[in-house]
Amino acid sequence: MARTLLWVLPLIPTITALLMLTTRARRILSAIDVGSSAVLFALTLVLAREVATGGPQALGVLRVDDLGLVFLLLLVVLTLAVSIYTVGWLRQAVEVGNMKAEHLRSYFALMHAFVATIVVTVLADNLGVLWIAMEGTTITSAVLIGYHGHQHGLEAAWKYIIVTTIGISFGLFGTVLVYAAATGVMGGAGAMNWSAIMKIAPMLDPGIVRIGFVFVMVGYGTKAGLAPMHLWLPDAHSQAPTPVSALLSGILIKCALLAIIRFQAIAAAACGPAFPAEVLLVFGLISIVVATPFILVQQDIKRLLGYSSIEHVGIIALGLGFSGSVGTYGALLHVVNHGVTKALAFFAAGTAIARYGSRDIHVIRGLFAVAPIGATLLMLAALSLAAVAPFSIFVSELTVLRAGIGRGHWVAIAIFLVMVVVIFAGLLHHVGAMVFGEPTAAAGRQAEAWSPLFGMLMLAAMIVLFGLTIPASFGGLLQRATEVVVG
Amino acid sequence: MNPETVQTIIDDLGALLLFTMILIIAARQISHAIHAVAAQSLLIAIAGAVLATATGNEDLWVIAGVTLAIKAIVLPWVLHWVVRRLNVRREIEPVIAISATLALAVAVVVMAFHLSASLGPVRQAITGNALPVGIALTLLGVLVMATRMTALTQMVGLFASENGIFFTAMAVTQGMPLIIEIGVILDVILAALVMTIMVLRVRSTVDADIADLDRLRG
Repeated sequence: MARTLLWVLPLIPTITALLMLTTRARRILSAIDVGSSAVLFALTLVLAREVATGGPQALGVLRVDDLGLVFLLLLVVLTLAVSIYTVGWLRQAVEVGNMKAEHLRSYFALMHAFVATIVVTVLADNLGVLWIAMEGTTITSAVLIGYHGHQHGLEAAWKYIIVTTIGISFGLFGTVLVYAAATGVMGGAGAMNWSAIMKIAPMLDPGIVRIGFVFVMVGYGTKAGLAPMHLWLPDAHSQAPTPVSALLSGILIKCALLAIIRFQAIAAAACGPAFPAEVLLVFGLISIVVATPFILVQQDIKRLLGYSSIEHVGIIALGLGFSGSVGTYGALLHVVNHGVTKALAFFAAGTAIARYGSRDIHVIRGLFAVAPIGATLLMLAALSLAAVAPFSIFVSELTVLRAGIGRGHWVAIAIFLVMVVVIFAGLLHHVGAMVFGEPTAAAGRQAEAWSPLFGMLMLAAMIVLFGLTIPASFGGLLQRATEVVVG
Repeated sequence: MNPETVQTIIDDLGALLLFTMILIIAARQISHAIHAVAAQSLLIAIAGAVLATATGNEDLWVIAGVTLAIKAIVLPWVLHWVVRRLNVRREIEPVIAISATLALAVAVVVMAFHLSASLGPVRQAITGNALPVGIALTLLGVLVMATRMTALTQMVGLFASENGIFFTAMAVTQGMPLIIEIGVILDVILAALVMTIMVLRVRSTVDADIADLDRLRG
């Protein structure tokens, strides 16, 4: 059963993508979209149950373990929320002419092709397949980022495809080096499979794995949006259609982190845990520091959220860099919490942008007066992003902090805390000004549509729940995933 | 062929690869750079054929053939087609002077050899100087992309960079598994296709080079 699911899961979005090309009617397209995401969601829950009882399952180049499952669950939650959100978002976007009705089917086809490549990325055991799927996500999402077809969108898409393609070429180079080290020990067969490499990892040549890990870190780090390789991220996140931004920030950059975690586990076994941890720590701190000033001076709400993603990816890298079971657990929890929160933030920002017809923070004013529910959700997302208790990100950032204290990384902790406080002030200043006060003349007065709200409420419920308590079954999954990484 | 002959041939090919890379960096016209990257891909295909004969690994023949067809013939042809279609008036447009880029390139090559030398005994197990040449090619491709302002030159840099990876994969591990190599080449084709469409689309709407747009800041 679980093995069948391994090849069925990537097939569902692939078939859906093809199915989308057969019709032009918006309602039918949206129905297929939501239906397919719901099926993917349900089957992933079945797979999660099978893995919880039967352990990791492998099928050829694909394999699912607890670590991959964390990312897979995040993916299906976000795709379901995105599909529900898209129903209402699209109706509005077609009305004002942001999306052309005759091109909708290619949009949906690309979205599902994008999801299919992410599914393969998460399920890949073979590190070559992981790379191919990752480049696949770049190609599909690059077209989606430039989807609006105007000059700025295409500029962002070009920067994205060039920077990330060259970035993950480095990732491929690192993969080749690790493969070379593995063939030296076990011969060619299966030497590209992560599970096989992990069995012999302590015998790998440390010198070559070290160079390989640095290449992988720079390569997949580019895709993850870690500074100083983050240059594509604010442009891509601000120019993409809102549902695409939510997926980019919510899950895509996390998939690149999953690749880094896989290589971190190999490198930790081959050359000791200290080396990969230090590299991650440095990149994490740089990202947090680089993101801060841009968050403070930002005028464009979606760029603001993009820079905030760089900060949070930095925090995840920091957690991985503190390493040990507490740091890794905190990092994985932060992957989920940030993914859900950032998707909600993009959704809420997207509806506000649609209402005011502008992305400028100075134009979006008094949102609470015209759209109370949407404004509350935007505020909730911002509070969580700023690590305010009792929301989910507060819990994971605290766990990362605890790991750092346990390891005695005092300098890193000091920098981290200062930046988090500054970002807290900057973020709440921006969002507070948008939510409260008198609405500007640009504000649309129409009632709030149910579909975007329903998608957002689903994510908001998760943010509140994860802030109060982590459900036992999910906590157990995170614990087992942590053991996969730290052994 | 005995191993020493193979080693010598691969080393010679590596030197030629670095030479084509220098040609790409020094090129003042885009068509010259495209010719150079095509020649580079041809050398990679030859290296694949040599290693296939030496090791008896039949997959390498397939990889050599695909590299020859796609990267040495089809992709350069597409790039030439785009150049004609765009009627490129501006040629290379370096951000920093070509001579300065060449000096940087020399530094990168020296660094790559130095890095590999530090590996010591491991390097002995790997075919000749393939590793430093591969690292140098990959990094120099990035250098080209970073220091040129036109979309087509950036694409040439990208292909050169991937040539470096393929060369390393061949020489270091007798090639990755065939299915993976095919998948990687497929990705390269798709990426090139999407990039070409973007370049043409921007040119048709605003008559500007996509890599030269700089409205998104901050």
